[in-house]
Amino acid sequence: MSSIVASLMPEFERLRQRFPEGFDSSMTLPCLRRIQELRGHVADEDISALVQWLGVPRIQFEEVLSYYTQFRRRPVGQVRLEICRNVSCSLRGAERLIGHVCQRLGVAEGGTTSDGRFTVTTAECLGSCGTAPVMVVDDEYHENMDIEKADRLIDAMSHADGGRGG
Amino acid sequence: MPQIFLDGQAFEARTEQTVLQVALEHGVFIPRLCWHPKLSVAGNCRICVVQVEGRSWVEIACNMPVSEGLRVLTDSPLVREHRKATMQFITLNHPVDCGICDKAGECTLQDYHVAFNGEASISREPKVQATKFHRLSERITLDNERCILCTRCVRFTREVSKSNALGVKNRGDHSLIRPAEGDDVRLLDDDAYSENIVDICPVGALLSTRLLYKERVWYLQATPSVCPGCARGCAIDVWHRKPEWKLRTLDARHNTAIVRVTPRDNPAVNGPWICNKGRDLALLLERPRADAALRKGRAVALDEALAAARELIGRARHPVALVSSWGSDEELAALDDALGDRFTCFVKDDHLPADGEVVEDDLLIRADKNPNGRTARARFGHQALQFAPDTDLVLVWGEGCDFGRLPRGVPVIFLNAFLAAENGHAEVFFPTSVHTERDGHFTNADGVRSAFSRCVDRPTGVVDAERVFRALASVPAGVAP
Ligand code: SF4
Ligand code: SF4
Ligand code: FES
Repeated sequence: MSSIVASLMPEFERLRQRFPEGFDSSMTLPCLRRIQELRGHVADEDISALVQWLGVPRIQFEEVLSYYTQFRRRPVGQVRLEICRNVSCSLRGAERLIGHVCQRLGVAEGGTTSDGRFTVTTAECLGSCGTAPVMVVDDEYHENMDIEKADRLIDAMSHADGGRGG
Repeated sequence: MPQIFLDGQAFEARTEQTVLQVALEHGVFIPRLCWHPKLSVAGNCRICVVQVEGRSWVEIACNMPVSEGLRVLTDSPLVREHRKATMQFITLNHPVDCGICDKAGECTLQDYHVAFNGEASISREPKVQATKFHRLSERITLDNERCILCTRCVRFTREVSKSNALGVKNRGDHSLIRPAEGDDVRLLDDDAYSENIVDICPVGALLSTRLLYKERVWYLQATPSVCPGCARGCAIDVWHRKPEWKLRTLDARHNTAIVRVTPRDNPAVNGPWICNKGRDLALLLERPRADAALRKGRAVALDEALAAARELIGRARHPVALVSSWGSDEELAALDDALGDRFTCFVKDDHLPADGEVVEDDLLIRADKNPNGRTARARFGHQALQFAPDTDLVLVWGEGCDFGRLPRGVPVIFLNAFLAAENGHAEVFFPTSVHTERDGHFTNADGVRSAFSRCVDRPTGVVDAERVFRALASVPAGVAP
C-alpha cells in the first residue's frame, strides 16, 4: 500500500461508514481528493492501493481522474499558478498575463520550471468573472490581476525562504 | 396492475415497469439507443423522449416509472421535434462514414437518422476528430469517432461479463471508451463474452477485427442454429453469403464459409448473449473435412462401404458402439432404432475443454463441451466405457476416441466429419455431415430442446450419420448377408 494511502486509512475507514453498503465506488472521489491534497498529485501506486482496499475496478478511478481536470497524475511544482482564460478574463487581459508569466518563468503552458518551483496552467472559468482576470496561486484567488501584480507575487515566492509557500 | 395510456390507448402495466418497457411489450414503438433490456438504465442518449399529456416538456421513457392513469404521447409534434434535435446533437461529431462502415445496413443510428432527422448537420463547427482504429482487444477494433457514448459496452463489461474492462475516460466531446491502464489494459482479452459488445453497440464504433472490411451485411443471410460448443447449446444465427450474391470469382469457399455467428435471443437458454467460442464456430466446423468413404484406408463408393459395414455387423456377436455426444436428437434416435438392440452402447465426450478455454462459469459456459450429451445419455446410459473381453466389433461415431485404447485386432467402423489419421485405420470409414449441413435438434444440459436448420449443402461425398445408421439397420446377428 502506498504510504499516503496507508496514512489516510483511518480517515478513509471513517468515511466509509457514512456510505450505505454497495456504494464503495462513491468513495473514489473523496479518497482521490484527499490523496492529492497531501501529495499534490495522484500516483499510480495510490490507485493500486485504493483498488485493493475498496475492491472498485481500476477503470472507475481512471474515469474519475480523467473526468475532473482538477486531478493531477504527475508531480507538479511546489507552487501552482492557474490562470483563467475564459471570456471575461480574456477580455480583461488574461492572454497577455498568461504570455507574460510563461515567458518570465521560461515555461510553456502546463509546464514546470526547471527548479521545480512553479507550474503554470490555464483554466476555463474559475468563477471569478466579476474580478477578472484571476490567477489562482495554489488554492488562493488573486483577483483583478495585472502583469505588475503577478510579478510581485512571483518575486515574493521565487525563493523557498521568501514569501508564502516557502 | 396500473393502467397507462400510450397515445390514448389503454395498456395494463406491471408496477415495476417503465413506460418504455410497457410500450415495447405491446408493440408500441419508442426509439432507444442507450437502453438495453439486459442492462441498467443509463438515460444518456435522450432519443426515447415522450410527452406526458398536458405537459409542455418531454421526458425519457426508459427511466419513467408507470403510475395509475399515466397518459403518455409517444409521437406528438413536441416529441418529434426533440427527437430530431437529439439526432442532430448525437451526430454533431459523428463522421457519417457509413460508406465504409461495417455496421451500415444494421445500424440503429442510421435507421433513426432516416426516420427522425433526415437532414444534413446544421452545425458549422468542425467536427472533433478522434481515434479511428483503436485496438481494444485481440478481437475488437474501436472507432471513437462513431461512438455515441451510450455506455452499453461499459455496462455490459460491468454488469454481465463482469470483466470491468471498459470505462469512459475524459469528458464532453473528448470522451473516449477505453480500458484501464497498466495490466488492466488486457482485461477485455480475457473476457470470454467480449464480442457481445460488438452486437449491442448501436453504431459502428465497435467492430469485429476479424471481419473488418470483409463483408457487407446485405450480402449475408442468417440461419437459425445452435452452438455445439458446450452443453448450454446457445441459440445462434449463422451467417453465410446469400445464394443470389454468390461470388463467381475468388475462392469458391467464400460462398459456403461461415462469415459470422451472432446470438439469437432465447430467454430459456442464452438470452441475447453468446461466448466468444460461439463466434469462432468456423474454427470448429471448418477444419479439413473427410469427403470419401474408406475401406481399410482406400476410397470406395458409399454403397461398397455400407455393404462392408453390414457384413462386419452381421458377423459380430458382441459389438460395441461409442456414441457421439455431437449427434442430434434425430441421429441418436436413428442409431438407437437401427442398432440399439444389437450393440452395447457407451456415450463418448467428443470434445473435452481445450487448453486455455474457460471450463465453466456462472453465466453461460458449461464444462461439458458437447451439445447433446444429455439426450445421448438419456438413451444410452451413463456407464463408463469398458470393453468386455469378447468384444468383436467397435463402431466409433464422432471425434474424441483414442484408437490406441480400443481392443487390439477388433475391426472398427468409424464415422467422422473431419480428416484424421484414424479414418484410414478403420476397417470401414464414413465421412459424415456437420450440424450446419442438416436440420435437427440438440437438447441442452437443462433439457431445453432447440432446433437448428441447414445453412449450407453437404459437401460432395459426405453422408448424414442418420442415413448410415438406417442403412445398417436390421442386420441379423451372426449371419453374413
Ligand atoms: S462504443 Fe458503442 S456501445 Fe460503447 S459507448 Fe460507444 S456507441 Fe455505445
Ligand atoms: S456458452 Fe457454450 S453453447 Fe453458448 S456460445 Fe459458448 S460454447 Fe457455444
Ligand atoms: S434510451 Fe432512454 S435515454 Fe437512451
